[in-house]
Amino acid sequence: MKDCTPGRIGNEAMNSIAYIIIQLIVTLLAAPLVGGLIKKVKALTQKRKGAPVLQMYFDLYKLLQKTSVVSEVSSWIYKAAPYIVFATALTGALLVPVSTKIVPVLIPGDFIMLVSILALGRFFMMAAALDTASTFGGMGSSREAMISSLIEPSILVALFTVGLLSGSTSLPRMMQTVQVTGFPFAHPVYMMVGLALLIIIIAETSRIPVDDPSTHLELTMVHEAMILEYSGRHLALLEYGAAVKQLVFVTLFVNIFIPHDQLIPFMGFGAVILSLLLYLLKVVLMAVVIALIEVNTVKFKLFSIPNLAALSFILAFLGILQFFILGGYHV
Amino acid sequence: MELLLHHLYLVSIFGYLLGASISLGYLFVKEQNTGNIIVNALCIAASAVAAAASVGKIFSGVGTLNIFSLQSAIPFITLNISIDNLSAFFVLALSILVFCVSIYSIGYISHYNGKRNIGLFNFLYVMFIISMFFVLTSANAVFFYISWEAMSLLSYFLVVFESEKEENQKAGTVYIVMTHLATACLLIGFMIIYHYTHSFDLIVAQNGTVIPEMARNIAFILFLVGFGTKAGVIPLHIWLPYAHPAAPSNVSALMSGIMIKTAIYGLIRFVLCYLGVQNTWWGIVILVLGMLSAVLGVAYALMEHNIKRLLAFHSVENIGIILIGLGVSYIAFAQNHLLVGGLALTAALLHTFNHTLFKGGLFLGAGAIQYAVHTKDIEKLGGLLKKMPVTGLMVLCFSLAISAIVPFNGFISEWLTYQSIFANILPGQIGLNFFSAVAVAALALTGALAAACFVKLFGISFLGLPRSEQAANAQEVPKTMNIGMGLLALICLGIGLFPLTILKLLDPVVGSLGGGSVFSQLQGGFMLAYYPLTVSPGSISPVALILALAGIILLALLVIRIVGGKYIERKYGTWDCGFEALNARMQYSATGFSKPIKIVFRILFRPTRKITTEGDSFYYPESIEYATTVASIFEDYLYHPVIKRLQKFSQRTKYKIQTGSIHNYLIYIFAAVLLLMLYNRLA
Repeated sequence: MKDCTPGRIGNEAMNSIAYIIIQLIVTLLAAPLVGGLIKKVKALTQKRKGAPVLQMYFDLYKLLQKTSVVSEVSSWIYKAAPYIVFATALTGALLVPVSTKIVPVLIPGDFIMLVSILALGRFFMMAAALDTASTFGGMGSSREAMISSLIEPSILVALFTVGLLSGSTSLPRMMQTVQVTGFPFAHPVYMMVGLALLIIIIAETSRIPVDDPSTHLELTMVHEAMILEYSGRHLALLEYGAAVKQLVFVTLFVNIFIPHDQLIPFMGFGAVILSLLLYLLKVVLMAVVIALIEVNTVKFKLFSIPNLAALSFILAFLGILQFFILGGYHV
Repeated sequence: MELLLHHLYLVSIFGYLLGASISLGYLFVKEQNTGNIIVNALCIAASAVAAAASVGKIFSGVGTLNIFSLQSAIPFITLNISIDNLSAFFVLALSILVFCVSIYSIGYISHYNGKRNIGLFNFLYVMFIISMFFVLTSANAVFFYISWEAMSLLSYFLVVFESEKEENQKAGTVYIVMTHLATACLLIGFMIIYHYTHSFDLIVAQNGTVIPEMARNIAFILFLVGFGTKAGVIPLHIWLPYAHPAAPSNVSALMSGIMIKTAIYGLIRFVLCYLGVQNTWWGIVILVLGMLSAVLGVAYALMEHNIKRLLAFHSVENIGIILIGLGVSYIAFAQNHLLVGGLALTAALLHTFNHTLFKGGLFLGAGAIQYAVHTKDIEKLGGLLKKMPVTGLMVLCFSLAISAIVPFNGFISEWLTYQSIFANILPGQIGLNFFSAVAVAALALTGALAAACFVKLFGISFLGLPRSEQAANAQEVPKTMNIGMGLLALICLGIGLFPLTILKLLDPVVGSLGGGSVFSQLQGGFMLAYYPLTVSPGSISPVALILALAGIILLALLVIRIVGGKYIERKYGTWDCGFEALNARMQYSATGFSKPIKIVFRILFRPTRKITTEGDSFYYPESIEYATTVASIFEDYLYHPVIKRLQKFSQRTKYKIQTGSIHNYLIYIFAAVLLLMLYNRLA
């Protein structure tokens, strides 16, 4: 596996397998890091030392060793949900390339499919929360239903606009387009959509001000309330799945709005490695940004979230209107 | 080939008619179980033959099949049945649904045994199917009209089948009034067409070109109102949430699954094929109505806790999604983008087909719940998945399908709809593009709310603790019912995983309507990878996605086994906050679940709540009753005022016109005759 750029290796199947493996390894390794980094930055700004950046790996390992406590009330949905949530997040990650130097070939899919596959995971998570007959589960599930149905339109409109700019709904194609057109934030359409997506990331990854991932206060939590009954390996899968989903959205944002592959003029294995390193750098940057947003805001009350979602939707919609008025470029 | 298909269709019609006559024979027989099985078996056989013939018709590429033509002595009335690709496609949808519903009915009807006249029910049921078959295949506007009226009346009888319930009587009244308002519009539309073309022949395509612009526009509006009412387009939808819950569930499945689709058929047959789409605004009107129906339909569905009313509102939503596709296609056709028009039409037809499958299935599921628990109220269900595992699994599949979630068929048609909107966005038409952008947002909101709604439906009724005695004692329904649902679920999954098969079937249909071939734009690649339309090479491969999903799950199981060792499970009760025992009342209810969304969209829902406490002390009430209602805006602000005015007007005028004096009546008649004679002279 000397050369991974498409066309050079000559074998499409080999190429796609290589892509899948790189994508999976990078995603699986980097996903828990993002959460750790955010926590570390938050701790540092509060003059604390904080948990190690790798804390989540230790947690996951420990959780896997534990006995799973399963509610007597629950059905097979409860046990299936963690696997489905984890698998859908990771499959979603396969649709969002970490680097345009390796182009996905195995799973043709676009952003509509990405939204749909994540919806599959969310469907099962919300159902599983209702399965234990716990009030907290129902509460989290109900809140998640509200937030997701407000956020999903703005995801689709935002990505639809980016798709229009590149002439395709396919995610790799969108990312390749910005490689050619240069720094996207100079373009007013991208600017609007970028801001919309930033809000979406915060909402979708259960971050302050939408949700508080570090609390177990029933009044504030959404995601944590849904998984309250879980323990052991089920909990590990759910936590890991949430981390992977977070990375998917971060990847989506940084690879569309901070293109880096045009910095690497040469092709080949070295280019792939360099591209991945630059990608990780962007992820770290994004983690710091998210952490700083978290530090500087407070958790909104539940019924202020619609305002935030509306803001993001309006931004995305203004983006698409600007596209109509200014006209776009297909590459 | 042509002869064979011709005979197959005749055999199918004969099978249905035989079923109808046998059920008539069982009208006065006490033991009706055998009759029920025979009639349903005949329906199953007849629908299988019709489905095979339809697939054969579309794939073989033979022209329009004239099945039979009976000239009657009465002028204009010709019983003329002929089948072209569009008819064949809708007949296929009808046949598949009838096939599954009839299997289901064998078991389902047994709970009417001894209580109801099953012979009568089956007669109406089969006649209803025949009338829909004729609606979809008649080649003559008068015969279409007769079949349409028969379909409406037969479904009315089925809606009021359990006529002793007051709610069913109201449902029947609302339904029959609305459906006749619609039929009146259709009649005027047909008359306008006849006025200009002097023909009731429907098969002549684009006959409408001889009709002047103004009359064509009026005919379009009349057809839109007429068919829109049957389809349940907002604001003409009000009969749907009454009629669907009232009918027995197998009939609801047919009504929601295919009867409201005959309106979509009508919109395509009369507007696209007959009048010919030349004005862009026709498409825009349909698109806007579609968006309205989609969003409002799902929003109202979320607030419903009667499982069948909830599903009825989802029919409104899905008709909206179909109309979005249809609207985009008419816009594209009007602007001569035949390829985009074809893609959008494919999306609309595919969603029509898909909705037939999953909505039919969901109503069958609701019927199964009713069969086992004897309630339609979600708040009284719970924990049914353990009692009814097969039904639960089927309802889960249908719920995922209707929420447009991979790998089920709903996703494929919504994806195609998105793609057609995408392809329809062209530079230089900012006004149109604005509608497209709104359509994307509307579709996205609809999808997300639908998922929330079906989490509620599935989660509250099948998961958690049972909320009533009956739910706790529920039992799995008879096998035939499960088989009927299972077949539908399998087809849903099949289309979701292998969309190319159904798209290949749709291609000749769309082609015969003047759309560009979508299938030839697809490039089959690795494992059914799927690249539609060169203009926007988005591609999806559901099979690859599912393989990846399964692979990751297996890998996760393996890794966890290695790292975490053997799976040890400890059964324990759900954490009950330190109270002594968890009970069903501690769970979230359906009302609670949808409350945040109700608050967010309070402008739309106008919720009211009423808390009544009982007991001497205000602070320590003995019982508290919490009632919450959601306003149905269209009934309150559109229909009721109109009805009120009309009633007032008739109250006031009845003493002036209907005086009771025979002299006055004679004057009226005289005046009327005089006016008619004058008109005849002058015109």
